Amino acid sequence: MAESVRVLPEEIQNIIEVRGWDMRTREGIQRFKELKARSLPSVALDGELVYEALIPGQEELCAELQRRYQEKNRV
Amino acid sequence: MASKTGIGCGDPRQGPEKQGPPSGLKGSERRILLKPDHEAERFVYQTKGGCPGNAKLVSRMLRGRPVSEVLPFLNDIPCRNDTSCPDQLVKALTAALKGSLNPARSFLLYTDPQPRSRIGLIGELGGRSDVLKRLIRHMRKEQVEVIYSLGNLTGNLPSNEEVIKLVRKEGILTIQGDLDWRYGQDEEPGGLSSLPLEERDHLFQFPQVLGFQVGDKKGMAFYGRYLQELPGFSDFEPFALEINMVCNLTDFLQDDTVFPALECMTAKFQAQIILFSEIKKWGCWHMGGTHFISVGPASSDEGLGWGLLKNNTKETCFEIMRLG
Repeated sequence: MAESVRVLPEEIQNIIEVRGWDMRTREGIQRFKELKARSLPSVALDGELVYEALIPGQEELCAELQRRYQEKNRV
Repeated sequence: MASKTGIGCGDPRQGPEKQGPPSGLKGSERRILLKPDHEAERFVYQTKGGCPGNAKLVSRMLRGRPVSEVLPFLNDIPCRNDTSCPDQLVKALTAALKGSLNPARSFLLYTDPQPRSRIGLIGELGGRSDVLKRLIRHMRKEQVEVIYSLGNLTGNLPSNEEVIKLVRKEGILTIQGDLDWRYGQDEEPGGLSSLPLEERDHLFQFPQVLGFQVGDKKGMAFYGRYLQELPGFSDFEPFALEINMVCNLTDFLQDDTVFPALECMTAKFQAQIILFSEIKKWGCWHMGGTHFISVGPASSDEGLGWGLLKNNTKETCFEIMRLG
């Protein structure tokens, strides 16, 4: 999962902040439960659980990140 | 709470996973815990084992005193086996000051050295010595090889003392429940039944986590959440992952919505059999090749009960055994 984020294009990297949570830790488990996730891997965007039990393809993930970025920055 | 730099002066019941004392320290059934006060370069001493009265006296007399002041009193005191408790304390203090003392784990782990095929499991006893005697008789009839007690041994009963003596006499491998731990630390809630110092000392020396093997499967047993509140508990200690998954992710396997995530995590477990007893309800789950067993109370509305964990040639089985 971390790798699939690391290889995102630069223009996407520039518009996102990434935080990984280690499920072995109590902190990671707490975050997992706050997101109401149920399986692994899980990806949340802006605090919202978007992908569960799968790693999204790069195209799909980039498109979703772009869409959210444009939505937030709409004038 | 101050972090603890501890040495196990060699509890002979310790399994190989416990960080042993530095070389030169010899085994005994005594333990010395050093809690460093970094500002004053002092240590809070807590000695356990041996003569309880003397142990407490030594603790009180040394508490808060600089190490440099203490060391002259401890030198050249012989006892047995070319050493003594003061001699061991000198070695420990010297090692601690040099920074060469291994830090104690937050919890004490004991590993049953024998692979087993029939294990009797006892849940919360709550000080009921009468219940324990009946369970032991029943278990012996069922030919269990060994009995594991998952805590709490103690409750608000005067028979706590008898329970502790009985588990020791019968060779029952015991782990502390949260109340057992508090009694051992002299920190039980007010109003509870009193317990002699010697029995508190025995409680103190029981481990918090038990490792074992059934057939070809590695197992671990613990009581519950209080382990995570022990000073220095780390998410990366042996078996901490299993503890975190049971306690935090699944709320003792009561939240089945997260079972898919649990199944993913079992690939990282050390143990294939995990026993716990805090929720005082019987339960058994199997996922990702791992057995999770909640050990119910020894006595309940349904009567007396214990768990039988056994290994046939092909599989590991668990059964709840009820007494008529």
